[in-house]
Amino acid sequence: MSHGDTIPLHSSAQSDIDEIENLINAGSHPVTVLPARPPSPPRASIPVSFVPSAAPPPLPSYQKVPPSTAPTPPPLPIAPAAAGSRLGVGIAADGFGSPPDTLTEPVLDTVKRDLSRIVSNLKLVVFPNPFREDPGKALRDWDLWGPFFFIIFLGLVLSWSASVKKSEVFAVAFAVLAAGAVILTLNVLLLGGHIIFFQSLSLLGYCLFPLDIGALICMLKDNVVIKIVVVSITLAWSSWAAYPFMSAAVNPRRKALALYPVFLMYISVGFLIIAID
Amino acid sequence: MDPVQPTGENYANPKTCFFHVLFKAAALAFYILSAIFIDSFVIIFVVTVFLAALDFWVVKNVSGRILVGLRWWNEIDEQGESVWKFECLDQESLARMNKKDSWLFWWTLYLTAVAWIFLGIFSLIRFQADYLLVVGVCLTLSIANIVGFTKCRKDAKKQIQQFATQTIASRFTSSLQSAFSVV
Repeated sequence: MSHGDTIPLHSSAQSDIDEIENLINAGSHPVTVLPARPPSPPRASIPVSFVPSAAPPPLPSYQKVPPSTAPTPPPLPIAPAAAGSRLGVGIAADGFGSPPDTLTEPVLDTVKRDLSRIVSNLKLVVFPNPFREDPGKALRDWDLWGPFFFIIFLGLVLSWSASVKKSEVFAVAFAVLAAGAVILTLNVLLLGGHIIFFQSLSLLGYCLFPLDIGALICMLKDNVVIKIVVVSITLAWSSWAAYPFMSAAVNPRRKALALYPVFLMYISVGFLIIAID
Repeated sequence: MDPVQPTGENYANPKTCFFHVLFKAAALAFYILSAIFIDSFVIIFVVTVFLAALDFWVVKNVSGRILVGLRWWNEIDEQGESVWKFECLDQESLARMNKKDSWLFWWTLYLTAVAWIFLGIFSLIRFQADYLLVVGVCLTLSIANIVGFTKCRKDAKKQIQQFATQTIASRFTSSLQSAFSVV
């Protein structure tokens, strides 16, 4: 049938061709021309997803769960997993309306989408923007790739700045930051706050970005005074970035209890940056 | 005449399978071999964890979709609650999935986790806490994918059953109707 076709035919196209060939071959007696068939539904070569229970085609605001810098087992559903994605169509509310067949998109699209999500999350968390007062909405679309890169970067910079014991510095920095993020999140949760575990991890990771910049500058300039100034500025910036999210999550009487450990962690990282030589 | 191979299908997506295995194997191989060649823990850590992270991403976003037609992710809904979503393809497509592909997918997933557990035990025995950190991170990533996809598959099976009962019920009623219309 396919004489050296390079493009694999879809099954619907194949049956069309069969039919046409049949018509041609049976040309001895006149055959009534069949009315044009309505076009068959598009069949992608990788099947498009839909749920057999005839729910409206899922509009996933497609997110991935990138590696957690603080190793945690993700699937402990806080709300029971919506089995089989009975997604309402309105999930793509925050301008993230990805098309229904993210299951068939090319890989480059996925990569681009994830990268742009990292950038947008960074902008939301660290830079002033109108959404800050509503933390739930601001970091609705959490991801852990950004925090992963920032923690690794900070560890690497600290390790490079150190003249001795580089490996230990890196390991300590990574472990402290990762464990610290987990503990801080647990702290908020145990104080009766309403925050989602991964959102908080993501947030604390993104707030490391100013400290990353500070550490980089300190690595390049060796003057102690400059180091102190730079670290203080970036420390204040990090704390300012983390403040609204953390404080909005807890009962106002317990705000200080939730915020103090965060400041403490950033201050200790700041000292680590200053003290490295 | 060539003997016909009725069930000897090849891999339907060889490139995807390759990548699926590539990063897992690279992470494990680098971790194991680095002990011999490389002195710096930092490099071992960063490279291994980076490869494991890449593997996590590839499995979750690419090979899960293509090889077994499953996907899982997390969403935050309007009320600010976190919801885990599990999604699978429709039944005909699932049935059409290549058996070899899915065999490879699941087995490499499980085997990597087992391998990391072994390596973790080794580093425990040797009291190397920092290598345990590396193993811990990689193990967590593997287990995350395993749990996510297993839940997807259970969902898919449940849906198959529901679909089957629905189809049987609808066929039953339609045959009843046609029986009555004939009489």
